[in-house]
Amino acid sequence: MGEVILTMKGIDKSFPGVHALDHVDLEVRKGEVMALMGENGAGKSTLMKVLTGIYTKDSGTITYEGREVTFTSPREAQDAGIVIVHQELNMVNHLTVAQNIFIGREPMAGGLIDDGKMISESKKLFDLLGISIDPKENMGRLTVGMQQMCEIAKAISHDAKVIIFDEPSAALTEAEIEQLFKIIRDLRSKGLGIVYISHRMDEIKQITDRVTVMRDGGYVGTLITKDSTKEDIIKMMVGRTIYEDPKTASAVPKGAPVVLKVENLNAGRMVQNVSFELHKGEILGFSGLMGAGRTETARAIFGADPKQSGDIYINGQKVEIKNPQDAVRCGIGYLSEDRKRYGLVVQKTVAENSTMACLEEYMSGPFINKKKEQEISQKYVEELKTKTPGVDQFVVNLSGGNQQKVVIAKWLIKNCDILIFDEPTRGIDVGAKSEIYHLMSELAKEGKSIIMISSEMTEILRMSDRILVMCEGKKTGEINIEEATQENIMHAATLRK
Amino acid sequence: MSNEKKNGNAFTNNPIVRAVGAQRIVVLIALIVLFAFFCIKSPAFRSYPTLLSILGYSYYITLMAIGVTFCLITAGVDLSIGTGTVAYSLIGGYCVVTLGMPIGVGMLVTILLGLIFGTLNGTMVAVFDLPPFIATLCTMMIVRGVGSIVSGGMSVTWPSVGTPQGWFRSIFRIQIGETMYPIGFLWIILLIVIMTIVLNKTKLGRYIIAIGSNKEATRLSGVKVVKYHMAAYIISGFFTGLAGIAYAATFQAIAAAGGAGLELDAIAGAIIGGTSMTGGSGSIVGTLIGVFIMSMLKTGLPYIGLQANWQQIITGVILIIAVGVDVIKNKKLA
Amino acid sequence: MFIVDERAYGDRENGGRMLLEAEEFRAGLWGMALRRGRPLPADLTKEAGGRKVEKFKSLPFVKKVGFNRIVLCGVLILMYALFAILSPTFLSYSRILSALNYAYFLGFLALGVTFVIATGGIDFSIGPVMFCSALISGQLLTKSGVPLALCIVISIIVGMIFGCINGGLVAYGGLPSFITSMAIMNVAKGVGSVFTKTQSVSWPQSVEANGWYRSLVRTQFGNVQFPMGLVILLVIAVICAILLNQTRPGRYILCLGSNKEAVRLSGVNVKKWEMLAYVICGTLAGIAAIFYVGAYTTVQPGLGDTFNNEAIASCVMGGTSMAGGLASIGGTIIGTLIIALLQEGILAMGFQKDYQYVLTGIIVMIAVYADIRSRRKRN
Repeated sequence: MGEVILTMKGIDKSFPGVHALDHVDLEVRKGEVMALMGENGAGKSTLMKVLTGIYTKDSGTITYEGREVTFTSPREAQDAGIVIVHQELNMVNHLTVAQNIFIGREPMAGGLIDDGKMISESKKLFDLLGISIDPKENMGRLTVGMQQMCEIAKAISHDAKVIIFDEPSAALTEAEIEQLFKIIRDLRSKGLGIVYISHRMDEIKQITDRVTVMRDGGYVGTLITKDSTKEDIIKMMVGRTIYEDPKTASAVPKGAPVVLKVENLNAGRMVQNVSFELHKGEILGFSGLMGAGRTETARAIFGADPKQSGDIYINGQKVEIKNPQDAVRCGIGYLSEDRKRYGLVVQKTVAENSTMACLEEYMSGPFINKKKEQEISQKYVEELKTKTPGVDQFVVNLSGGNQQKVVIAKWLIKNCDILIFDEPTRGIDVGAKSEIYHLMSELAKEGKSIIMISSEMTEILRMSDRILVMCEGKKTGEINIEEATQENIMHAATLRK
Repeated sequence: MSNEKKNGNAFTNNPIVRAVGAQRIVVLIALIVLFAFFCIKSPAFRSYPTLLSILGYSYYITLMAIGVTFCLITAGVDLSIGTGTVAYSLIGGYCVVTLGMPIGVGMLVTILLGLIFGTLNGTMVAVFDLPPFIATLCTMMIVRGVGSIVSGGMSVTWPSVGTPQGWFRSIFRIQIGETMYPIGFLWIILLIVIMTIVLNKTKLGRYIIAIGSNKEATRLSGVKVVKYHMAAYIISGFFTGLAGIAYAATFQAIAAAGGAGLELDAIAGAIIGGTSMTGGSGSIVGTLIGVFIMSMLKTGLPYIGLQANWQQIITGVILIIAVGVDVIKNKKLA
Repeated sequence: MFIVDERAYGDRENGGRMLLEAEEFRAGLWGMALRRGRPLPADLTKEAGGRKVEKFKSLPFVKKVGFNRIVLCGVLILMYALFAILSPTFLSYSRILSALNYAYFLGFLALGVTFVIATGGIDFSIGPVMFCSALISGQLLTKSGVPLALCIVISIIVGMIFGCINGGLVAYGGLPSFITSMAIMNVAKGVGSVFTKTQSVSWPQSVEANGWYRSLVRTQFGNVQFPMGLVILLVIAVICAILLNQTRPGRYILCLGSNKEAVRLSGVNVKKWEMLAYVICGTLAGIAAIFYVGAYTTVQPGLGDTFNNEAIASCVMGGTSMAGGLASIGGTIIGTLIIALLQEGILAMGFQKDYQYVLTGIIVMIAVYADIRSRRKRN
């Protein structure tokens, strides 16, 4: 292991209302692979965005090659030799591989772009990496894995000294990961510093030299990979004290009927053979890491996205759900993680949003009975304690927690028995959060059945009666709340099948 | 390692087909079939003057279409090209005929107007973020009015062949002995070659494609996207100016406030030629083939007894089919 | 941007307190429980300098009618005064009637396109569709002797059919509305022209047989010409306003224009309602045809596209947002009156019609830009 090339010390970053990074330290050495680990939202990506100049830090220092630096744009960081290979690939699909690698700095010959040189340079890069990609191929025709290789080639062509991989393996096949690791080892032996962000424990053990763990925007510690076990790392990742009491026993009475049964659901790559049952009055937690396919499963059940195969039974009866209309007719309500895009028409009022799913019941003749509409919305505003000056208030003016309550009201007014909460408390402040929790428990007690997708471990442990864990589109665990611990959930969530 | 996405069949994966583009091959075949159809149906169609007339119609549409291809590639559109073509040549002609300027100046004015309104379009779209179709719709109305106001609502006839300044008409059609030579086609081919190089071999073209495909990624690569986005509309304006000259050379009188609907011929030509409405891909050669389909229809339909009004219907239907094919194509890719 | 900093204006009326709350924290950091709120100056709007404007805006009457519409009314009155000063003949009753003639058909077109724009789409075919309706029904009336009442119905049905085609292609086919409707514009021009064999059609004068339809536009009461068309336009406008604001179709049209995906995920058949907007638009274009010939008698094939632009201008001027979701029938009507007055004024002052094209273009440009600006401010 070589000398230190990059040091980040005491990095602090706040967004309005959120302390995103709390004095984080990170050190990268030449010729090593440093793993950066943490749960979803631990602040890994933010830290890397601060490093590459997408965000500006509030305080702290970045020392690179012995000098203190501050980058103001990814371009500047790139020119200095710090390159990030993004999780979401930033590729121009209609251009060729070579054109993508050299975009913004095309070699010129006589006023024209020298495509020949670009292609031969790209070939050299690929040879160096030991991969065979045709530089003349259109980027859009490559698999995600190949595109990733191109990103790496692009990074190297920038003469990078530090390369950051942001969850590079999420979309790769086994063979592609092998190749990626070969390249990373190769780069390491050439003396580059590598930051490897991943959730996959087996990969961390396989490829990295040291592991830095972050939690809730703070620095937890750094371990030497070969001296530590998977359990050590998991403990550091989840080791927060849980303020709210976790549920100790299921609140569902024994023998509660099955209201929703999903069998062998398949929808694209992200939902593979998912089967489960949901009982009356149960809160079924869907746990897993980002990109585990939980939202995709929910959307496939709800008919928002097409599914390839699989059967859905409601109260024992097989139903055909082809679109959201069918799902709503079957009494399923879906509360999206992105309320503003998928849940609400924010430019409309609370009342208008509340009756969106069942407007036909609030008509007198051909006209909307606004009085009746206002009354029912008002009733639910009171029942759910939604803070709004009135039901004619535009939803855009409400806070996140109250917006969420409007969505809940929408489905309750429709009288849905099965509610799918996708990240119910995302973007909601602490106070409103516990209100939402309380509300969900109440709903379950009244006999509504709830699927709760959550990336927050505390939320899962506090709310669920049963926990279903997914990883990469597959169900990797089903844990009763009595046996659930942070460790065994995280274990299942990083279990690749 | 050859794990490319295997979408498409044997035909679309054939290297030659992929180099030329499947859609262009299909469209080229359609063009030939169409030509054969007209030839069989109407003996009068099989004549040299008809060919000249097809070419004559194609010049200004091709020029507009080349320009608008650049806008379409950025995932925008330029609706002002139709009325623009007429208005610019109207004003240029007014300068020559009424103000007595030399013809060279008239042509310069025509092109300059194209550049000015192209810049206006570009500014509205790239700088002020107006939706391209609405921004260029406004320009469409404005140029239409401006052209007509300048000429006082009168039609203008550029100098005709034989008059002292009539030489400019031989830019497109030259008479040597008894025969006419469609020399304009040469210029068109030349421009096609130049613009193909611009699109594929210069930073300008490269970044215009990149903006249409993924504007954000392009910006993150350090490309000044506003500048290049704007450039697409300026190119479109420039070619509209050229189209104005071709229009003036092809037709006798230019009516004031005309030209609405011409843009559809050009846009349809570009889309038939494989340029996508969603941006990122397009080809100048394809546009040329697409335009030939449109101008073949314009010229050929009367020979089988369908008048101008049928052409309008057919243009509309073809446009819808072309856009429909484009939508389906993009759905498959996604 | 990942971080959207959103202010909750909840209590502005009761004490003007504002909450600042970090919202929608999508950078993958939502797991954080550390949030801070900080108070804002009591009333930001005071600092903006527009204190009087703000005060005016908060009057109950102004709120009810809408600030934008009051400004537009002011513009309308000012324009009238300006034209009256510049051209002495402008004050005459016949001038007003003449201006209104233009407002009737344009009003129907604008009302129709308001529904389409409310869905976030656009319809460039309305003008030619109106002409096509007038040509087909006029041809049947004058050449084939079809009864007038039936012709009026046919005119409306023709419009409706074009609306269905547009709506079907856009809502069910997923084609972009602007290019689809431009193609349909060409088709409509062609169909009208084919039907009349490129001849123009003159509808009967009021004194001729079958001339009673003209009293829909102007009714003679003794010596006074009464603008019946205005009454009908206003009645239909009221129906449109009710349709848009008080019924299910209107509610869904507005909501899907604002956020189509959210409405779809509420289990609403968005395609059906989106298509309906185009059908309404086409139907109103069919009605507009009757009022066009009622005022101007003759229709020529191959024309009509300039009216698209004027109708769209009336709409966006009246406060209907090109981005969809926000529409005002009242605003559209005032916008129409402004355009009609503008065209009459330009003619009265002896200018060419072309000035109107330029002005309309500039108006749309400014209105759309203002809309984009205000939306950006809101977000």
